[in-house]
Amino acid sequence: MAVQGIWSGTISFSLVAIPVQLVKAVEPGHVSFRVLHSKDYSPLQRRMFCPEEDRIVPPDEIIRGYEIGPHQYVLITDEELESVSPERSRTIEIGEFIDMKEVDSIYYDHPYYLVPTKGGEKAYQLLVEVMRRTNKAGLAKFVLGEREYLVAVKSTEGALALITLHYSEEILADEDITPREGKIEVEEKDRIKKSIRKMMADFEPGKYADDRRKKIVDLLKKKVKEKALVEAPEVEEEEGGGPPDLVAALEESMRKVKKSR
Amino acid sequence: MSRKVVEIAGKRLFLSNLEKDLYPSYGFTKAHILEYYRRIAEFILPHLKDRALTLKRYPEGVEKDFFFEKRCPSHRPEWVKTMDLRRDDGERMTVCLVNDLKTLIWVENLASLELHVPLARVGSPETPDSMVFDLDPGDQANILDCARVALILRDLLLELRLTCYVKTSGKKGLHAYVPLNRKETTFEDTKNFSKAVAKIMQKNYPDLVTAKMAKEHRKRRVFINWSQNDSSKTMICVYSLRAREKPIVSFPLSWRELETFMRQHDPEKPQVMHSNAVSRAEHRGDLFREVLVKEQKLPHL
Amino acid sequence: MAAKAIWKGNLRWGDFNVPVKLHTAIKEDRIQFHLLHKRDHVKLRQQMICAYENKPVSTEAQSKGFEIEDGKYIIVDPEELEQASPESGRVIEVHEFVKTEQIDPLFLERVYYLEPDAYSKGYNALVGALKEMDVEGVCTWTMRKRSYLGALQTSGRILRLNTLRYADEVISVKSLELLKIPLSEKELKIGSDLINQLTGPFQPQKFENEHQKKLQHLIERKARGEEIAVLRPRRLKPTAPDKLLQALEASLTKVA
Repeated sequence: MAVQGIWSGTISFSLVAIPVQLVKAVEPGHVSFRVLHSKDYSPLQRRMFCPEEDRIVPPDEIIRGYEIGPHQYVLITDEELESVSPERSRTIEIGEFIDMKEVDSIYYDHPYYLVPTKGGEKAYQLLVEVMRRTNKAGLAKFVLGEREYLVAVKSTEGALALITLHYSEEILADEDITPREGKIEVEEKDRIKKSIRKMMADFEPGKYADDRRKKIVDLLKKKVKEKALVEAPEVEEEEGGGPPDLVAALEESMRKVKKSR
Repeated sequence: MSRKVVEIAGKRLFLSNLEKDLYPSYGFTKAHILEYYRRIAEFILPHLKDRALTLKRYPEGVEKDFFFEKRCPSHRPEWVKTMDLRRDDGERMTVCLVNDLKTLIWVENLASLELHVPLARVGSPETPDSMVFDLDPGDQANILDCARVALILRDLLLELRLTCYVKTSGKKGLHAYVPLNRKETTFEDTKNFSKAVAKIMQKNYPDLVTAKMAKEHRKRRVFINWSQNDSSKTMICVYSLRAREKPIVSFPLSWRELETFMRQHDPEKPQVMHSNAVSRAEHRGDLFREVLVKEQKLPHL
Repeated sequence: MAAKAIWKGNLRWGDFNVPVKLHTAIKEDRIQFHLLHKRDHVKLRQQMICAYENKPVSTEAQSKGFEIEDGKYIIVDPEELEQASPESGRVIEVHEFVKTEQIDPLFLERVYYLEPDAYSKGYNALVGALKEMDVEGVCTWTMRKRSYLGALQTSGRILRLNTLRYADEVISVKSLELLKIPLSEKELKIGSDLINQLTGPFQPQKFENEHQKKLQHLIERKARGEEIAVLRPRRLKPTAPDKLLQALEASLTKVA
């Protein structure tokens, strides 16, 4: 397996269960920067800080709280959080299939790929091929991290893609912006259709590049040329030889080595 | 500029700028570089396998700018094996794994003259397979001083029942590797151990060795860079080319050879050129093989 | 009462110019937690900490660096980043039109509604044309200093812009290195039948964010001081390859 998984479990439809791993399908292209300390360029890390005790708090001292009033919280542990939907945490249960054409693209949130893990390769292939032939996608609910998603599992180029969907209550109404005037000027529409026909092409996303990303990369290349590199400092070493047993053993060995030379 | 298509293991690769001279004062083109790596492949691949590669690219040759690339270039062929890593700040990064000849050639076509890899494999990034002593000569010291240090280090480690293997860095120093190959080993173990060894060496040979990084301590001495034993650090892979005036290779030496070089007093003698690297490896096999397989345990920890 | 638009632009191609206003189309519903200090329930703050000094560092003392090698960075000033930003403009340039089904959902990011800005006969006519030809326009534009690629589509009587990912941001299926396993026609037929049996219309409104509701319920119970029992997640046993046909047939019987 070339790629490390985000989640692993089983995808099932009716009585067929397929062991799978969830992996990324998209990789953000933006150039990412590290945040550094201006004075010595040492990299900074995000940590939780207690403003009262004025210190950094380690993860085992941290708990989640839901605010029900000013300074009033209901505390929730990780186990309690997971216990809320136990059935779904390790399974993606496809309850029904739908025709992909019926899914408005507004529902799409984030895509992933599913890859089969050991023993599941055949069942996986079957699902991929059958969904391709019937042109359908499976609908399921799925908990990843802290959230439960409505997901569509579809066949794409010989693999299964899992796309999280927005719930319908998350989609804003468009009545307010829909033009009141429904009339369409036929002549204008025909003119537009003519221009569309002239500009028809096949969809090739490779034609388009992220301008801003390119400019930032060019800027970085220019700076490398100017050798404008900075270096983070090495951690200062405290005095002291090391674990006493080891130091003693080393000193003993050193004596022997020096004697023989 | 010429472009050529080759087929390796059933996959097509487009090679470009083959006559571009990347070592202009010596005369070594991209084609020569690809040929070198092709011939050294069987020896270098086991040492690159399953390690997050850091490419060091010199697209305009060794005299011009270079750049490091830790992220696997996104325009890679689909057959290039990769792994997703999570960094300290939570960011995810995809790295290349050079596990076969075609990937090695693809990487070299990108003019990644130098190949740098971590001491741990990508599946277990906190488990070093070996402990390294990076011997780096300061101003007015040279590789022969490193050789002296390496020989003392070898004897010291032998007393502790640890075997080590040495290679040239291809630049000014030597690298001594102590194979461990045990899943219980951590970088904390190897860092503490190597630090303790470095300090003892400094204590006993203060005019020859220093364990401190600061420049003023390193003049005329060999710096034992124990801090290389870290999950975030990389070392030049054995058999990799170096981006120097001449195509010199980071090459393993036998202890006998090292002793001979010391007696000859010529700091150029230990360096191995590309052609020698191929013939020596083909003749004597991979002298660094044990670094990948020998299991040893760090005592007294 | 129409929400305030987030941006204004002009769809432009050939001789055509259709002014529009962008509106967000998605509103995400989520229960937010605060991170608290266990012992005294003080609300914690996220800070950038210097690993060496183990102290928080204020924004004024922070710099942005691109890591080029272990511990070596190229520092970029906010002004330089600003200069690298694309020219801001109001043009949404339509480069070409493609058949709707050609755009793989993996490329789709987020939808924005487009409201006609001042009456222009172009808007309604464009909606009609796109719908009748079942095509989408591929556009680029700059908004808030970022470059966007998107698909101009219709829904009902309005236009929408669906932002697209760039080609190198979508991971190819080939990189997954999936094995090709031969399947029998029988298995394929039974599988297809099963799927068709389980097919229904897409009715998204019948799906509720149950987890959210359960979480709410948990919070209410805890607020009342109730004891909560924690359950372990059950893991389904995977179907063995030779038992696959059996499982399929059994499923069909169950469904029929």
